[in-house]
Amino acid sequence: MATTLAEAIASVEGRFGTHVLARGAAVERRSAERRIQTGTSLDAMTPVLASGAPLAFIGPGSTGVTTLAHHAVAGAQRDGGTVLWVDPSATFDPLVALRAGVDLARLVVVRAHTRDDVLLAARAALRSDGFRLAVVDIGLRFAAVQRVGIDDLAPLLAIVRSSPAALLVVSETRPVRVAIPTLAFARVAWERRFGRTTGWVSSVGERAVFHFGALGRELHDVGTRGELLEQTG
Amino acid sequence: MKAFLALVVPEAAPRGRVLAALCAMLPRVGVADDGAFVCDLRGTERLLGAPARVARNAIAACGAAGAGIAPGAGIGTTPFVARIAASQVPAGTVCEIAAGGERAFLDVLPLDVLPLQPRLIDELALLGIRRIGEFLALPRGAVSDRFGQAAAIAYGLASGEAIEDVRGAVPRRRIRAKRMWDAPVDSRERLVFALRGAADELSEALRHDGLAALRIRLVLERDDLLPLRLERSLLPPSGESSAIVRSLRWGLEELPALGAVISASLEITAVEPARGRQIGLFAPDGAHAEEAIAVTQFLRTRLGPNAVLQPRVVDADARLPERVAEWEEVVR
Repeated sequence: MATTLAEAIASVEGRFGTHVLARGAAVERRSAERRIQTGTSLDAMTPVLASGAPLAFIGPGSTGVTTLAHHAVAGAQRDGGTVLWVDPSATFDPLVALRAGVDLARLVVVRAHTRDDVLLAARAALRSDGFRLAVVDIGLRFAAVQRVGIDDLAPLLAIVRSSPAALLVVSETRPVRVAIPTLAFARVAWERRFGRTTGWVSSVGERAVFHFGALGRELHDVGTRGELLEQTG
Repeated sequence: MKAFLALVVPEAAPRGRVLAALCAMLPRVGVADDGAFVCDLRGTERLLGAPARVARNAIAACGAAGAGIAPGAGIGTTPFVARIAASQVPAGTVCEIAAGGERAFLDVLPLDVLPLQPRLIDELALLGIRRIGEFLALPRGAVSDRFGQAAAIAYGLASGEAIEDVRGAVPRRRIRAKRMWDAPVDSRERLVFALRGAADELSEALRHDGLAALRIRLVLERDDLLPLRLERSLLPPSGESSAIVRSLRWGLEELPALGAVISASLEITAVEPARGRQIGLFAPDGAHAEEAIAVTQFLRTRLGPNAVLQPRVVDADARLPERVAEWEEVVR
């Protein structure tokens, strides 16, 4: 029995590589190592951002999708990783990213203008060992020079499963034809002072609440729904 | 200790096997212009013993590798003296020229042991110079002026002023792996996945020898089609399995059709010594920085200028947004 199992393992490893099989404990340990911590309430939510897995931040403009994506980038870089940001709409703001804690020296921004270029860049990052996270920021619909939709990223979902990097998609619209783990962002309320908009409150997946300040003010992590219920009774 | 060992083997000897045997036992082995094997023994006395002992061991190793051949061995303070000594002794014996005894050994030898043209030797003979001692009695500057650079080089070798360089000549070892499949592989993804084991094997062999792959060759045998040959260069050279797989993947993606692949032969066709890499002290993923650079180079090639960029904040308080940051090409 043991010999047969050993032969089967040797056959699989001989054909598909030495790291293709692992014990359950090792898999559990690796799954913890693969997670990318954003340092916010998102870390307590599912789905998580982790190597070898895709995740989408879906929400309209001014709901904090990009800001939390910056925090995810900072989290990936905290472990020493490099991040590739695919920016077809050329809307990446270095100053906002810097304020969110992004190390710009370990960030490569690719301005891909077509669907094929977006796929090429993301695919190359996911297939190499050089990146910890690949972000595809599809951007707002009105800002897109050439329409690249979240459904166009379907080929990446198969690639990311065997990748040491995570894939984060930032989009305004939900996918229709692909199944991708999603965190939906929705604005709960605007914050106004003296007749001017000074910020807003957004919920993520209806489970975490964030307060965003306008004009580059810092993100305030209000907490998850469970934490809020505990505080307010 | 300043010692060189030279071994002169017969013409008919299997030189490749002799060279491999010498490389296996001595750290630096080269092949001189006249075909003699020259070994640099400087700094090896504590590890390997006295040069005479090393010479006897080398003769035995050559005999084992070359089916009973017995080279003549010479030991000298320069490769030239060692080579001449080896050529003067009977096969299977050792001639050691002690430090300070080089002139006494060389002076009585005829000029034809020096790397001189026969025409020049005849010219010197007309002047009454037939032995090395007589040649070395000439003023060095006059030799250079009258007989040219070749004579000056020979003069320097004989006088010990010029020392030939022993270049390490490690025999080429084929680093390759082959995979065969019962069911034909017809998709790129499956082929790349199946080649990972072969790449791991090559990477292990490279790591063992301290080498990095510079060029790789993949030959795919296909059902009902001619074999497909794919040559790739790895820049920067790498011994990592992931770099080999990545290069193969990019190469395969450029092929319009793959066909039904029944076997694959992967070979490293050019190598260079593996270089050390600077790894960030607090960055566990810093070891993969070269991978990231390779990907950005690839993207720069495919997407052109102004596509693969790195931002830099120059003035966070600038009044105009366009003056806040600058964008630079990651790869120029």
